[in-house]
Amino acid sequence: MTDQLQTALLEAQNDDGGWSVDGSGQSQTEATALAVLAAKSTDPASRGAEWLSAHQRPDGAWPPWPSVDLTSWATPLAVLALSKIDPPAAQTGAEWLLDQGGRGYPWYTKLFYRLFPDRKAIELDADLTGWPWLPDTFSWVEPTAYALIALKSLRDRLPPRTAARIDEGERMILDRTCPGGGWNYGNSRVLDEDLWPYPDTTALALIALQDAPAGEEIETSLEALEQMLEHNQSGLALSLAILCFRLYNRPTEALEERLVERLEDVVAYGETRSVALSSMALDQTTNPFAFGSHDRS
Amino acid sequence: MIDRREFLKAASGAAVAAALPGCQQGERWHPAAFVKQPRSQVAIVPAASYERPLEETILTGLKLFRLDVNDRNVVLKPNFVEFDPQGVINTHPAVLAAAIEAFRRLGAREVIVAEGPGHRRDNEYLLSASGIGDVLADTGATFIDLNHDAVRRVALDSDYSGLRHLYLPETVLDADLFVSLPKMKTHHWAGVTLSMKNLFGIVPGSVYGWPKNLLHWAGIGDSILDINASIGVPRFNIVDGIVGMQGNGPIQGEPIHSGVMVFGADPVAVDATCARLMNIDPWKIGYLERADAFLGNLGDDVIEQIGEPVDRLQQDYRVLEHFQGIKATSRVTAG
Repeated sequence: MTDQLQTALLEAQNDDGGWSVDGSGQSQTEATALAVLAAKSTDPASRGAEWLSAHQRPDGAWPPWPSVDLTSWATPLAVLALSKIDPPAAQTGAEWLLDQGGRGYPWYTKLFYRLFPDRKAIELDADLTGWPWLPDTFSWVEPTAYALIALKSLRDRLPPRTAARIDEGERMILDRTCPGGGWNYGNSRVLDEDLWPYPDTTALALIALQDAPAGEEIETSLEALEQMLEHNQSGLALSLAILCFRLYNRPTEALEERLVERLEDVVAYGETRSVALSSMALDQTTNPFAFGSHDRS
Repeated sequence: MIDRREFLKAASGAAVAAALPGCQQGERWHPAAFVKQPRSQVAIVPAASYERPLEETILTGLKLFRLDVNDRNVVLKPNFVEFDPQGVINTHPAVLAAAIEAFRRLGAREVIVAEGPGHRRDNEYLLSASGIGDVLADTGATFIDLNHDAVRRVALDSDYSGLRHLYLPETVLDADLFVSLPKMKTHHWAGVTLSMKNLFGIVPGSVYGWPKNLLHWAGIGDSILDINASIGVPRFNIVDGIVGMQGNGPIQGEPIHSGVMVFGADPVAVDATCARLMNIDPWKIGYLERADAFLGNLGDDVIEQIGEPVDRLQQDYRVLEHFQGIKATSRVTAG
């Protein structure tokens, strides 16, 4: 089955070596990084890696698109994709990541909430620093998960302060856990109403927390992810869930069967991210999101 | 997150604002860029349900404005921020389908559906679960994910948010006609979300993330103004008010049957009319009040209702406690 996905990825590769979001248009960092991870040690992967190396900014970060003059949340994915192929580029990218952090509330919001504690609309600890989508903005779950995955993968090559950033990033993600488990983009409760989790974000958060100390949030979120998959059959949700459950030694055969049944739709839908993640999910030999030793069985 | 404007307001901010740098109420837009019409037309068209003949209802509304879309590239931007099977968050698929066919019947060369969902990244799920995917399959319309569309850096023509520039999607910037197609909803931060607020969905997540939090940092109302001031293409607005959302919108409110669709080229006048239909005073919605200065008309004396009068179809939308102040003090009687 991975042959079908690898063929789809190969056909979608742009002449410049990168991948676009949906097989048409400009090459983009996130899609290219995920395709490189999925294509493993092939020639297309090498060309994709060259595209990534060529588009790294002087500050070590990657833009979301080459035409956008901004650093971005896609940097940890590029770091991960290049960690073995272009270690110096991955290293500078990871060091850039270490210097980034989401902004907490500004002084006037802190003052407001101190003066009017009952007006606190969103229940989260804004002083916990994770990673933002865009520099100098708030921390959110998905960019924090990507940053944790990249930093943990390269941990041995990074300075000692990495441990503190990882620890706080993990605490930030745990702080954003939805009541009942799982994660959405990063708000669990707003104006006294619970918000619901998403399977893709939940799986990513759990992947990032794969070596974190076991706790109630993780166990309930694993259960919540199982339940979410009863209603969401997308290639993105299934593939990320498989990659996640494998890290937690949970059975994935049934999910793999469901993903295989949906492959034609996934390929037809044509989103590079889903095709690449599906290929990784159905590849039993490696998991690009696994780092270090862990055993939760 | 509460923004600076909300804080200053809560702290009786006029005096505080005057003492803070960057808060002077100077000119926030380029006068040459905005020529406000003295009057605007809006059409309220009754629509009891999402059953047929919705396409005829939309054609009726569009024909009132004699829109020339012949051989034009029309981009429809529904509100498609999130999905809840029990909720009424999004522009109804039937409205989208009817709008696609209506613009085609008026001669549009191409009708594109474009949206950048604000919360979720799983479009495969969103499209199939919401029914939008079926609409696209049935009509053959192209869907562009504005979160991942190619972008251009656009200098903002007004400066309320302080952002100065945004990367915006080429599908929107290159449209011959851009149609905002929102749901009529209350909004727990902005008061109401209608055709103007719907433009948050054109801000690309691939650059700015999910949710579009940069816009919250910069101030929701201020960002609404700057985006609406800056897309620079001909616009039209069609609001799905057949079943709206009241209370804790835009995601967790309750459905309320209003039985209307609202049409117009002036987004400020359309949103003002929708607010009045919701028994909300548009002058008390901060961004609408500021929009009246340069983007369009808010006053009911300069909005000509060419469809049904407001009072015939007005409903009393519930708002959250902290927005009680935006409710109209008396029911609208003017048409």
